[in-house]
Amino acid sequence: MALRELKIGASGVRGVVGDALTPELIVNFACAFGTWCDAGPVVIGRDTRRSSTAFRAAVVSGLLSTGSRVVDLGVSPSPLVSFAIRDLGAAGGIAITGSHNDASWNALKFFGPDGALLNAAKNEELLDIYHGAAFELATWDRLKPVDAAAGIEERYLESLASALDVDRIRERGFRVAVDFTNGACGAVATRLLESLRCTLLPVNDEPTGEFAHPPAPTAANMRQIATLARCFGADLGAALNVDGDRIGFVTGEGTALSEEYSLPLVVTPRLRRRPGPVVTSYSTSGMVEALARAHGQRVVRGPVGESQIVDLGLAEGAVVAGEGSGGVAVLPLGVAYDGLLALGLVLEEMATSGRSLAELAGALPRLFMRKRELPCPPNLVYRVIERFRRHHAGDSPDCTDGVRLSWDDAWLHVRASGTEPLLRIIAEAPTQERAEALVDEAAAFSRRITFGHEGS
Amino acid sequence: MRQPLSLKIGPSGVRGVIGESLTPQLVTSYAAAFGTYCGAGPILVGTDTRPSAEMIKQAAIAGLLGVGCTPVDAGVVPLPALMLHVREAGAFGGLSVSGSHGSLEWNALRFISSEGLALRANQAAELTDLYHQGLYPRVRALDMSDVRADATSSARHLGAVTRTVALERIRARRLTVAVDPGGDVASAPTLRLLEALGCRAVSVDAGRDATAPGSPEPDEASLLALGERVRRSGADVGFAQDADADRLFVIDEHGVPLGPDATVVLVVQRWLERTTGPVVVNVSTSRLVDDVAARFGRPVHRSRVGEAHVIEAMKEHGAEVGGEGDGGAIVVPVNPCRDSFVAMALILESMAVRERSVGELRAEVPSYSMVRERLLCPARDIAPSLRLIRSLFPGERFDLTDGVKVTWPDRWLLARPSATEPVIRLAAEAPTEGEARSLVNRVLEVLSPGA
Repeated sequence: MALRELKIGASGVRGVVGDALTPELIVNFACAFGTWCDAGPVVIGRDTRRSSTAFRAAVVSGLLSTGSRVVDLGVSPSPLVSFAIRDLGAAGGIAITGSHNDASWNALKFFGPDGALLNAAKNEELLDIYHGAAFELATWDRLKPVDAAAGIEERYLESLASALDVDRIRERGFRVAVDFTNGACGAVATRLLESLRCTLLPVNDEPTGEFAHPPAPTAANMRQIATLARCFGADLGAALNVDGDRIGFVTGEGTALSEEYSLPLVVTPRLRRRPGPVVTSYSTSGMVEALARAHGQRVVRGPVGESQIVDLGLAEGAVVAGEGSGGVAVLPLGVAYDGLLALGLVLEEMATSGRSLAELAGALPRLFMRKRELPCPPNLVYRVIERFRRHHAGDSPDCTDGVRLSWDDAWLHVRASGTEPLLRIIAEAPTQERAEALVDEAAAFSRRITFGHEGS
Repeated sequence: MRQPLSLKIGPSGVRGVIGESLTPQLVTSYAAAFGTYCGAGPILVGTDTRPSAEMIKQAAIAGLLGVGCTPVDAGVVPLPALMLHVREAGAFGGLSVSGSHGSLEWNALRFISSEGLALRANQAAELTDLYHQGLYPRVRALDMSDVRADATSSARHLGAVTRTVALERIRARRLTVAVDPGGDVASAPTLRLLEALGCRAVSVDAGRDATAPGSPEPDEASLLALGERVRRSGADVGFAQDADADRLFVIDEHGVPLGPDATVVLVVQRWLERTTGPVVVNVSTSRLVDDVAARFGRPVHRSRVGEAHVIEAMKEHGAEVGGEGDGGAIVVPVNPCRDSFVAMALILESMAVRERSVGELRAEVPSYSMVRERLLCPARDIAPSLRLIRSLFPGERFDLTDGVKVTWPDRWLLARPSATEPVIRLAAEAPTEGEARSLVNRVLEVLSPGA
């Protein structure tokens, strides 16, 4: 039997719609989450995927059955769900979104009462309830209704404005081209940019859920917005993923920056306003170290994934936490990755420094990163990683999240994807040749192990 | 503590207790099975006003979307209107979330075929097989449909009912009608219908509202309360509906409840004046129907008890009108299911066109007395018991459509096994209560425990 593409992990439950991810499974998870929330109010939001409508119905039904009141934000970015949980004092939240995955996938992201994705301990509690199927179902007289949250968007926008130098941005009257990836951010982003007196040049803003390009904001996926930003004469271009937790930037000259640039671009304006530690993942570029050092701040690294990075950021008292995927959380104001706030801070940096995005990016430390994905059956992933660790036992590997090897000037990270049956290999070095050599060697080694096993 | 057996899966749908057996998992899976059965097309979804309606509805929508159907949300709507809407709109099927006469901890998912009918027993069996196999053809993300809304059920239904009757004749009479619609679902459509018929409506809330605890079924007390209201308001007639608005109970102009058999009698009487053709009622329905049909020289065919059986027999015999003695009347050309609104409109038409009071119309046929009893009987004893009953009446002709029925010129006796309980239901009808009682007693004497 073929392995079904379903991931029940740290970032919620994720899978291919109709294959492993069925409405019945979603109902069960919603019942488990309602039970975990002790029948308290739960905020829900969804992205623009068609399957999100079906899963919204399943989530509503499951939550109602446990006696939870459901506050439905409708189609909305995940960071807005996170904000609404805290604003309304809800017991938790669910974002129904496949986020950066392609249209055939979908997922549930679970947020706790603090507005952050469930950390490992809370997630384990939820999974225990799910697997035990011991749902606390409410009797008919304890069932609650589904409500809307009036004025929540206004309060969210006010909260974003409180972290920005709004006046400086307004003075500049930026022209901003944004690729919405046919996702959930169009309405809120338009209001934000209006309030910042920017001229918005929208691309792929029809909320159809049929994506014009793969949703992750990588340089390769930003070719269209890069061209349009140049043609429109925009000061800056940006691509938001479907639920607005990740952002990538393109310069006014039409150069798509790697999504690795999003966190470093936000670090400087954030640390200027509020000094404090920076938290990022083992797989993220070393650019942040140099920037934090310039502000006399330290960088703490942790395992890959929003829930772990935000959790670590809160524990370390960080003021910004993010990853090379383009996800940035501005702590403690927000406790979820928020592409809109990242966009606001980059605009602020352009406004206060008077420099273009190309100039800001050019001033960042020059490091070369290479990433590669190797398809790897889920049952082999850990065997490959373990063999890799043994192979490099002499290089004092860090095994917190896969295997990470670091040298004075470079590092190499091999890990299992948390969301897909993939092995991710990332290296960074001062020269392109060195980075490529590191990745190639790790990829060749991993292929040998995978192939060797399949051949036996 | 969990109660045993709070889930009932039968031809009429899936009934269960909220928080116990009618879970969103079960409803989602059943809706997926139903969507698979109907095919990937529009499926209407309507609800009553119970607190659990939204939870059940969303579970049903999720299940339907997962197998490629397009759920069409019809909102809060009485069952007969939803059935008519399914048929008129050419939907692939319908789901009704309605606890009907169950108390408030219950709710149910009821299945409606593309013909706008409850599923026949064989259709329901196929659906149950699909559910048990659990292998639904899931659609991929991009082939998934979306939820549509269509709140036209009540308007379509009102149109169909008012087109049927002699509107101007009824309006000209300016009748006063006391109504107890039995809750939020039927209340607004009932008042709209009466307004369209030019009647003055005196509305009674007998505390059977679906959001308040209590029995949603019109009981003796609520019928007497409605009768009192008829007297005090000087109404021409009183009507009470059950929670689904498929059955109707009639109160005459003196405030006297006419009994549940009167509905089908009055409707048959009216419809036979208008058209030709036979009548179908179940074996347990009053012989008043035979008396009415005899006046028009029409045959009466008897079916097994249960709406689906009556409708099947109506198709078989080409009958336009029929029903059951529990207040359910069916007029196929208007809506081929039990429909309290159709019954109400036709009774008012009868009063207007014939220029008679409802009591006078009822008095056109004689009165009989009906006695009903239930006899506990383990399943293995049912067949021998029925044989024993036949032996009590040697030389008589037996109708074996549903149990054993013995008919004489002016009376009958029926013993039939219940479909839902280990019980034999006894019924007898005769000119006087004493005569009916003695027929039942002949059976009880030999079959009662200890007899």
